[in-house]
Amino acid sequence: FFIYNPIRLLVSTCDGVQVGLADAETIFALSSGHGRCGVAVVRASGPASSTALRCMTRLTRNLPPPRKALLRSITDPQSKEVLDRGLVFWFPAPHSFTGEDSVEFHIHGGPAVITAVLHALGSVPGMRPAEAGEFTRRAFQAGKLGLTEVEGLGDLIHAETEAQRRQALRQMSGDLGRLYQDWSHKLKRCLAHVEAFIDFSEDELIEDGVLNQVDTWVCDLQAEIERHLQDERRGERLRTGVQVVIAGAANAGKSSLLNTLCQRPAAIVSPIAGTTRDIVETALDIGGFPVLLSDTAGLRESPDLVEREGVRRARERVDQADLTLVVVDCAHLPSDAEQAATFLEGHLRSVLSPQEQSLLVLNKTDLLPEEQRLELDWELRRVSGLPPVCHISCHTNEGLQDFLAVLHRSVKTLCGDPLSCAPTLTQARHRAHLQQCFAALAQYQRYRDIDLALAAEGVRLALTSLGRITGHVGAEEILDIIFKDFCIGK
Amino acid sequence: MLTKKPPALQSFLSLVSRHSSHLVRQQYDVIVVGGGHAGTEAAAAAARVGAETLLVSQKIETIGALSCNPSLGGVGKGQLVKEVDALDGLCGRAGDWAGIHFSILNRRKGPAVWGPRAQLDRQRYREFIQSELLSTPRLTVLEGSVEELFVSEPNPEEPGHHRVTGIRLANGSHPISASSVVLTTGTFLSGSLFMGQSKSPGGRIGDAPSSAGLSHTLRERLGLRTGRLRTGTPPRIVKDSVDLSLANVHPPDSHPTPFSFLNTHTHCKPEEQLPCYLTYTTPGVERVVRESLHLNCHIQEDAKGPRYCPSIESRVLRFPGRRHQVWLEPEGVTSDILYPQGLSMTMPPDVQLRLIREIPAMHRAEIHTPGYGVQYDFVCPTQLSPALQVKSTQGLFLAGQINGTTGYEEAAAQGLWAGVNAARCALSRPTVALSRTESYIGVLIDDLVSRGVTEPYRMFTSRAEFRTSLRPDNADLRLTLKGFEEVGCVSIVRYQEAVRVRDSLQDALATLQALALSTQNWRKKLPDMRMSEVKNSLLTGMDVLRYNDVSFEMLASAFPECLSHHMEFSQRLKIEAVYRPHCNLQKKEIERIQKEENMSLPQDINYLTLPVSLSHEVREILDRVRPTTLGAATRLQGMTPAAIIHLFNYVRRTGQKERRSHRNKPDQREERKSL
Repeated sequence: FFIYNPIRLLVSTCDGVQVGLADAETIFALSSGHGRCGVAVVRASGPASSTALRCMTRLTRNLPPPRKALLRSITDPQSKEVLDRGLVFWFPAPHSFTGEDSVEFHIHGGPAVITAVLHALGSVPGMRPAEAGEFTRRAFQAGKLGLTEVEGLGDLIHAETEAQRRQALRQMSGDLGRLYQDWSHKLKRCLAHVEAFIDFSEDELIEDGVLNQVDTWVCDLQAEIERHLQDERRGERLRTGVQVVIAGAANAGKSSLLNTLCQRPAAIVSPIAGTTRDIVETALDIGGFPVLLSDTAGLRESPDLVEREGVRRARERVDQADLTLVVVDCAHLPSDAEQAATFLEGHLRSVLSPQEQSLLVLNKTDLLPEEQRLELDWELRRVSGLPPVCHISCHTNEGLQDFLAVLHRSVKTLCGDPLSCAPTLTQARHRAHLQQCFAALAQYQRYRDIDLALAAEGVRLALTSLGRITGHVGAEEILDIIFKDFCIGK
Repeated sequence: MLTKKPPALQSFLSLVSRHSSHLVRQQYDVIVVGGGHAGTEAAAAAARVGAETLLVSQKIETIGALSCNPSLGGVGKGQLVKEVDALDGLCGRAGDWAGIHFSILNRRKGPAVWGPRAQLDRQRYREFIQSELLSTPRLTVLEGSVEELFVSEPNPEEPGHHRVTGIRLANGSHPISASSVVLTTGTFLSGSLFMGQSKSPGGRIGDAPSSAGLSHTLRERLGLRTGRLRTGTPPRIVKDSVDLSLANVHPPDSHPTPFSFLNTHTHCKPEEQLPCYLTYTTPGVERVVRESLHLNCHIQEDAKGPRYCPSIESRVLRFPGRRHQVWLEPEGVTSDILYPQGLSMTMPPDVQLRLIREIPAMHRAEIHTPGYGVQYDFVCPTQLSPALQVKSTQGLFLAGQINGTTGYEEAAAQGLWAGVNAARCALSRPTVALSRTESYIGVLIDDLVSRGVTEPYRMFTSRAEFRTSLRPDNADLRLTLKGFEEVGCVSIVRYQEAVRVRDSLQDALATLQALALSTQNWRKKLPDMRMSEVKNSLLTGMDVLRYNDVSFEMLASAFPECLSHHMEFSQRLKIEAVYRPHCNLQKKEIERIQKEENMSLPQDINYLTLPVSLSHEVREILDRVRPTTLGAATRLQGMTPAAIIHLFNYVRRTGQKERRSHRNKPDQREERKSL
C-alpha cells in the first residue's frame, strides 16, 4: 500500500557493509498507540537524534546521561514556544533498540501536544517521519535481532505493516482518501500529457496546447494543495474536539453559563466571588461538533494562594483555547454606553491574547433596562475589531438560542464542515508528503520552458510523494493514459 | 570507420557461399538463427567477445534488411541506438553510413529526451551490415532454414531442465553443434501473413515460412509458454505517382549528427540529404476503412497489436472523425519508392489503392507493393533471465520480436546482449546483466523478463525512471568502459577513445568547478548574462554554466587560457552542468536498486514448497515469474513486504549453509538454530 521497501535497509548487512551508516536519514514517529492517552512516547533514531534532543530541550552543553530519565521543557526549535514538559531519554549508539543514536520524548498524551512535538521534530534538519515498520528494520539491520529471532521478526514486521495497512485503508476509504486519489489521478494525467508530448509530439498530432493544459492543471493543483496545507489543523481539531474556554471576571456567571450549556449542575454556583478555583471540564455536542468546554476561575488579583493558582491555570487555558467565551456581568458595566464600550474593549484586551478567537457574552441581561441595552448595542457596533456579542441571561434563559447559534457558527468555522468543505488533513505524515509534492510541482514550473525532461521529473516526484500516501504509480499506468487520451500512430 | 567502403554485395555472397560449401564446421561456440537486427548484432557481439560464431539465415541477401520502415532511432529508440553503439554494436555506424535524412527530435525539450533519428537508404544499410559481418573475425554466415534444435539432458552443475546442444538444418545436412544457440526468428515463429481475406504462412512477404519444427521444439519439447501478437506494414508507393506539391516538406537538420560515438560526420553530405513529406488522412479514408471491414480478416482477429503503431484501420476506428498524420519517407537515394508511415493496412490490394487515393497528394498514386499484416508467436519473456537466456534451458538465448518487442532498435539491443551472454556462456565465463539504473537496454530487458508483455513492447523515454541520468550524450561513459573492462564486447580502439573522452570531461569539469568568482565579477566577465539573484557566496563555473543563457563557448571566450582547449566537448559540458544536481539526487535511489539487483535468487528454488511463511498468492506469483534477483521480486505486482523479508532471510540462510557445507564441517547445532 505504501511505497515500502523492506530490503532497502536489510541489504547492507549481507554485503558486509558497516551497519547503521547505510542510511544517514533520521526518522521519528509516535511510538505509543494512537488516540488519547496519559503519556505518549515519541521516538527518533539516526545521526540527527542528538541535535533534535539538544534543540528541543535547550540543552546547550551536555547531552543527558545515557538511558536516564530527565525532566525538561520541550520547545519548538523554530518558534521557541514551550510545547510540553516531559521526560526525555538519550540512547547513544549502539545501546539502543535500533543500534543508532536514539532519543525518546515521553510527553502528555493529548493529540495537540503530540502533533506539536512531531511537527517540531520535522522542522529539525535531517529528520523525516518514519515509514511503517522502519524502526524494527533498522534494529534488524544493526544486528540487534539475531538470526534465531529471524522468524519472529518476520511475523512482527508483518503484524506491524498489516496494522498500518488496515489503519491506512480505513483512513483512505473516506473523503480524504478520495481527495488524495483524485489529486493522484490529476497528477497522473499531467504526467501522461507531458510524457506524451516528450515521447510522441514530433511524429504525432500532439500540439503545444497539451502543455498549456498541464500548466493550468499543475497551477490549480498547487493552489488546492496549498489551501489544504493551510487548513490550520481543522481536521485534527474535528477529530479531537474544539477547546472552548469560559473566562472573565469573578462572579460574572461563568459557571452558570457552563451549567446552562450542559444542562446540569456540573459546576458549583454561588453568589460568592471566587467560587470556581480549578478548571471544570465538560464535553458537549454543539450542533454535531465535539466541544471541550472549560470553566475557569474568575480573573482577579487574590491574596488566596489557591485562588491565585486557579487564576494562573485559567490564563494558561485561555492561551491554549481555540475559542474563548468572555463573560461579562451587564450590571457592572458603566451606565453610559460609550464608556461601557470602552470598558469592554479594555476588558477583552486584558483577558485575551491578541488574535485569539472569542465571543463576548453579556450575562445577566435581564438586569439591564431595554433602552440601555439597545444603546449599548448601537455603541458596540461602532467599535471595530470586537468579537461577536451576545446578550444572555443564565437566570431566565433569555437570548440562549441566539447565543447557541453564534457558538455553533464559530465552532463550525473552526472545524470546517466535513460535509460541505474539502476534507482536511488528519496526519502529520501526510502533511510532510504533501509539502514535498507541492515543492516538486514548483520544479515543473521552473523548468517548463527550459527543459521538459526536468519539468517532467518534477511532476514525477510530485506523484511519488503523493504515492507515499495513496499507493505506487508505475510507467505502464502513465502509458495507459497516454494511449487513452491521444491517437498515437507513428 | 566511414572511410572504409563496404565491398559490393556480390563479393560478399560469393565469400559466404564458399563458407557454406567448404568452411562450415560441425562445431561452434555460438549459433545465431536469424539475420535481422537482433541476429546480426548477436552474431557480431558473440564474435567480438571471442566465440567462434555461426549466423544462419534463410536468405543471405536479406541479412541486414529493413523489413518495415526505412528509418532508425527516434525518441527513446535513439537512446538504444547510442547504447548499442557504445557497446561497439553495428546499428549506429550502419545508420551513419546509410542515413539520408538526419534530425534530432525533441530538440526543444531537453537533452535527456533528445531523439537522434535518421531516414535510411535500405540498400546502403544492408550493404554496411553485410560487409561488417564479413570482416568480423570468428564469424561465419550460412544460408539455411533451421529444422530443429537438439535438446539433451542438462548439466547437473547448473540450473535448468534441458540443454540445447545444436541445430539441424532443413536440407537434411549434418547437424551442427554449439554450446549456445541464439534464436532471433522475428515474426517467423508460426507466422501468418494477412491481406484482405487471404491468409498464408510466413513471416515476411517474399520469404519462405520458417519450419514448424522450431515452434514445436520450443512449445512441446521445452515447454515454453507462448503468446500471439500482430503487426503490419504499409503499402509502398511509386514516388513518381505522388503529387508532392500537395504535402508539407520537412527538411532534415542542416548539420546531421551521427549516431556513433566514433563518427564525427555522416556518410551523406549535409546538402545531399533528402526531405520527408507530411500529409493527412481525409474523411474518405475513414469511409473506405469502414466499407471494407468485412474484407479484412487481420483486423477482426484478436491478437494484440501495438497501440502506438496501429494500422490505419485501428486508428480511424478508435479515433473517428479526426485527420491523422501520414509521413511520406524516402526509401533511398536512388529508390523510386516512398514509404507512407502511418498507413499500415491489411485490406485487399484494390481497396488499399482506393484508400490511398483519398489522400490529396496521392490521388493518382500507384502502389508498388501492397501492405499486409503478420501474426506471429512470441515466447513469454518472463521465462528468460536478465542475460536473455531461457531459464529452463541451458545454452538457449532469445532476442528480438520472439520476446514480444517491436522495432529495430529494441531488437538490436537485445540481440547484442543475448550475443554477449551466449558467447560468455560458451566460453565458460559468467553471464552479465545491465541494470535499469545504468541503461535503456537494462530498462528494456528488466521490463521484459520481470513484467512480461501483453502487447508488442516499444521503448519510450518515460519507461526509464532515471532518464535524466541515462542520456544519449553520455551512453559512452555509461557503457563503453564497462563493455571493455567487464563484458569484453568493446574493441580497444573504442575503449581508448572513451577513456580519452572521460578524462577530458573530468578535467574540464574540475576546471569549471575551481573557477569561483563573485556575482559582480561574473557580471563583468559575462556582460550578456542575465543574473538576477545576488548571492554573497562565490559562484563556480559549473554554477554559471547552469544558467539558461550561458553557453560553454561564452565561458571559454571569457577564460580562454583554461577552457578553450575543451571546446570539443562544449555541448556535453553544458548538458552535464545542467543535469548534474538532478543526477546526484537520483544517485541514492539508484544505489538502492543496484544493491537489490545484486542479490540473486537461486533459480532452482521451489516456491510452492519453500519452508518459509509465504501466502499462496505470493508463491504462485514467484513460481510463475521466477525473478532472478530480490530487486526484480520487489517490482512484481502482488508482492508483499513480508514476503520480501522472508525471501531475503531464506536466501541469506541458504547462502550460509552452503558456505558451511563447503567447509565440510557441518555444525549440526548451528544448522538447527538457524532453521
